[in-house]
Amino acid sequence: MPSLLLFMCILVPIIAGVLCYLVRIGFARTLTVLVTGAVLTAGSLMLLGHGTFTYVPPSPWAGLVNTAITLADFALLAIMFGIARKHRSKLIMTLVVLQAVPLLFFELFMVDHGAPAPGFYGDNLSLIITLLVSIVGSLICVFALPYMQKHEAHLHLKRSRQPQFFFLLLIFLGAMNGLALSNNIAWLYFFFEVTTFCSFMLIGHDGTPIAVKNALRALWMNSLGGVAFVFGMIGAHHIAGTTDIQQIIASGPMGGALLVPLALLCLAGFTKSAQVPFQSWLLGAMVAPTPVSALLHSSTMVKAGVYVIFRFAPTFAGTFFSQGLAIVGSFTFLVTIALALGQRNGKKILAYSTISNLGLIIACAGINTPTALAAGILLIIFHAISKALLFLCVGTIEQEIGSRDIEDMRGLFAVKPRIAVITVIGIMTMLLPPFGVLISKWMAIEAASNNLPAVGMIAMGSALGFVVWGRWAGILMSASYKKGLKPEPMSAFVNGPLSVLAGGAVLFSLVLPWIYSLLVKPMLAFAPYQVHFGSLDSSIGGFTVIPIFLILAAGFVYALKQAQKTRARHVAPMYMSGVHSGGPDDETFRGPMNKIVQIETGNYYLTRLFGEERLTFWVNNVAVALLVLMMGGAL
Amino acid sequence: MIKDTLLVLFALAGAPLLGGFMAGIDRRITARLQARFGPPIMQPFYDVAKLFGKQMIVPNSWQVFCAYVYLVGAVLSVVLFFLQSDLLLIFFVQAVGAVFLVLGGMAVPSPYAQVGAQRELIQVLTYEPLLILVFVTIYSVTGSFKISAIYAHEAPLLKELPLIFIVLTYALTIKLRKSPFDFSTSHHGHQEIVKGVLTEHSGPILGLIEVGHWYETVLILGLCALFWATSPVGMIILITATYFAELIVDNAMARMTWRWMLGYVWSVGLAMSVINIIWLYAK
Amino acid sequence: MIKDFIEKSRAKSPWMVHFDCGSCNGCDIETLACLTPIYDVERFGVVNVGNPKHADLLMVTGAVNHRNKHALKKIYDQMPDPKAVVAIGACGLSGGVFREAYNVVGGIDKVIPVDVYVYGCPPKPEAIIDGVVKAIETFKAKAREAA
Ligand code: SF4
Repeated sequence: MPSLLLFMCILVPIIAGVLCYLVRIGFARTLTVLVTGAVLTAGSLMLLGHGTFTYVPPSPWAGLVNTAITLADFALLAIMFGIARKHRSKLIMTLVVLQAVPLLFFELFMVDHGAPAPGFYGDNLSLIITLLVSIVGSLICVFALPYMQKHEAHLHLKRSRQPQFFFLLLIFLGAMNGLALSNNIAWLYFFFEVTTFCSFMLIGHDGTPIAVKNALRALWMNSLGGVAFVFGMIGAHHIAGTTDIQQIIASGPMGGALLVPLALLCLAGFTKSAQVPFQSWLLGAMVAPTPVSALLHSSTMVKAGVYVIFRFAPTFAGTFFSQGLAIVGSFTFLVTIALALGQRNGKKILAYSTISNLGLIIACAGINTPTALAAGILLIIFHAISKALLFLCVGTIEQEIGSRDIEDMRGLFAVKPRIAVITVIGIMTMLLPPFGVLISKWMAIEAASNNLPAVGMIAMGSALGFVVWGRWAGILMSASYKKGLKPEPMSAFVNGPLSVLAGGAVLFSLVLPWIYSLLVKPMLAFAPYQVHFGSLDSSIGGFTVIPIFLILAAGFVYALKQAQKTRARHVAPMYMSGVHSGGPDDETFRGPMNKIVQIETGNYYLTRLFGEERLTFWVNNVAVALLVLMMGGAL
Repeated sequence: MIKDTLLVLFALAGAPLLGGFMAGIDRRITARLQARFGPPIMQPFYDVAKLFGKQMIVPNSWQVFCAYVYLVGAVLSVVLFFLQSDLLLIFFVQAVGAVFLVLGGMAVPSPYAQVGAQRELIQVLTYEPLLILVFVTIYSVTGSFKISAIYAHEAPLLKELPLIFIVLTYALTIKLRKSPFDFSTSHHGHQEIVKGVLTEHSGPILGLIEVGHWYETVLILGLCALFWATSPVGMIILITATYFAELIVDNAMARMTWRWMLGYVWSVGLAMSVINIIWLYAK
Repeated sequence: MIKDFIEKSRAKSPWMVHFDCGSCNGCDIETLACLTPIYDVERFGVVNVGNPKHADLLMVTGAVNHRNKHALKKIYDQMPDPKAVVAIGACGLSGGVFREAYNVVGGIDKVIPVDVYVYGCPPKPEAIIDGVVKAIETFKAKAREAA
């Protein structure tokens, strides 16, 4: 049974990707993507239903798969080397060589190829990641169908580049599932590299000079992570004597020996999750078409990093390194959301907020108590859903109004009410109770409360987040009354993913107690919270999830009912000291010389405090210092 | 169960009465401090009743929605407070109210409301980390975030966390929009941006906001009272003294700028929290 | 009962907005003097709100001119019902000494309906307070009309 499901989750998207590449017909592509999405969804759900499993392919196959992956590994490195040569990037060439040579050594002299190779392993952590990748990822791919059509129409391409785009997109999904499910650290490395490669290709998809530049930056930073991974892998194998991840973990927890390789693996996770000081590649990634940013930021690429860290978290519980991780994570959480505050570019705000949330997830891994781990895993789930939604929203808005500047979204409700409301829902699910992201944040604060520096930074970061999200939601709805406003029409492939994600973000929050007790609790050493009457409860705190959800929902519905009673006769123009001109929906006043002046308002961006050019230098330096301290702690 | 129901009822009905009453006393004492006689204690109730009796005019329906949600958030947080639940939970629920107050202000393109809403955001930015730190330190003393644990604690928190209490009063001043932190909207007649975030609210909608504010006042004074949870008399003394000090400060201070507030309150607040915590561990 | 309380509250909480149509400032000073400790109109619940959307009473001083009549009308329109207008001083009543000026329209009632006229040049604060009380009395009838 697992063999079929693994096939559905890993190989089907890859085959579908190749199909997309070869068959250059739009309709066939649409069909392939839709079918793949359905297969992935079904496969991941059935895999979840199947529960924890270990699967080693039967004897001739296991070796074949292993050889194939090893060969593919070197092929991939060769391709990357070629790319680096083409772009004359000595840095990337060096980094690729630094991966290839130790890897060759590793494969030739260290790994015992006679021993049975470990295969696949799925526990709740990997199943959750698979679920997110398969479902959220598929939704993003579906969204990409009409998006890319419009995108290319905009660019006036002679020859469509969509086949290549969907090829990479789908392979990406397969690689992510492979990454989450493989139990062989060498395979894990391979899939890790595939995501690096795919993200490089996807970021550079448009081929503009800036896209190429940012893609190369992504490549070198992730290759650095790759180097760290190779050395971490070799070290881990040297000490544990196996490539079996579960056995490596089982050979911990140990203070000294294994810690260095683990720290290197975590460093690889840091680059992949774009933690400071590696944040710039993810920020650069937003030059790519929106589905790419959505995929990179929400469910896949960046989650690969935190997955690796979470996978190995049990082995370094209670060490100094773990504490360092908590501090570095919460530092990232604080500074990147501060950087988001200084931004008015919608995609950049989302990018910074992603990094920030990943920082919090990593901080949770560093705190490493069951409460913290539960918080981190819940945050992985809910962040993926809400962030994917928000990215797709910004992409849609950008195609509608031609700008991603949030100031240009002012009063979007009066123009495009449907997308404005969905975006506001997305923002609310990132910010407020009773939604999952906030509940995980609550859990994280309670878990961090013994670690004062960490909790202080988390507290300040969450306050900054309040401003970032609050003002954005406010801008979208900042519009005068329009009579008979109708939701704008939307293609089913856009509306579908948006509605599913928005509905999911809301409804999954309602069933959070069950998600917790069914998926998260079995992973933990002991259950930090008891669930009864839909509330999470422990001796140090409690969150009455369902009652609060229901009461707030009732309040929302009542408020909506009251708001719907508004009629045109209730509406009065705004107060402009008596010089407002025109009707209630005019935003003008009569200025000097009887001139009609348009009212202009803008947000605070506090760029003097939180501007990118002001803060980034310091942030990077402090981050490097903290990283050095953390790695030093591992030695 | 019966006790809980009674508490909920008290929170629903008693809190606004208490909050309105506090507002009445506030205006009376403020007037006295200015050598005036001042309005009757019942004045806030008259004001709100009148507002509910006025014609409904709004800039758009979204503002109506925001006002109701603000009220729901404020009421729910007070109910949770009386049910002695998790401090952080209460805090996050009141944040629902806070964010929708801002959204209600931003709902209108009017410059006054916009500036007011931005300033309100900065106010939230200023007090939010401090409140979380206050709760975390309470946790480090009582071992739990639940209010019930504070009642179970035998010594008053004030004894162990005197500086943290002062930090809380900063948050209180900002939340009550008293000078020197009253720049998003003030309770006094004129200010430089008309009525800030509330400029475009009027009639019944303004009434809702006012009632919500009463609930918030009760919540925040209740938090102060927790610092002397061992004796009911102590609680009353503490609230009275704090509130009176609040009024003196309000009347004696001029309005400052938000830059000053952010810098001053964060640095002083954080410093005091850290000193208090070190002192706690040193003991 | 609630209705009665609201009715009663209307009389007890008249919030005022003061609009200066171009007075010589004499009337303005007297109007604001009502708020000082000596007269303290807050005793009667009067609050000076500076925003027509919150106000029940519009206190207008000075003679209306061709430029600010639009603003006066707008501000009046932005006040939610029930509302009342108090015209203050000779200028507010009829244009006063400025009546003959080329740019002056005349009294407040040329632009918006006035409920109470407080005469004087300037009127004493006591007289203005009397005017406020008179204006409050018109609320009841107006609220009934509106309902
Ligand atoms: S009535 Fe007299 S005091 Fe009042 S504005 Fe006219 S001239 Fe000035």
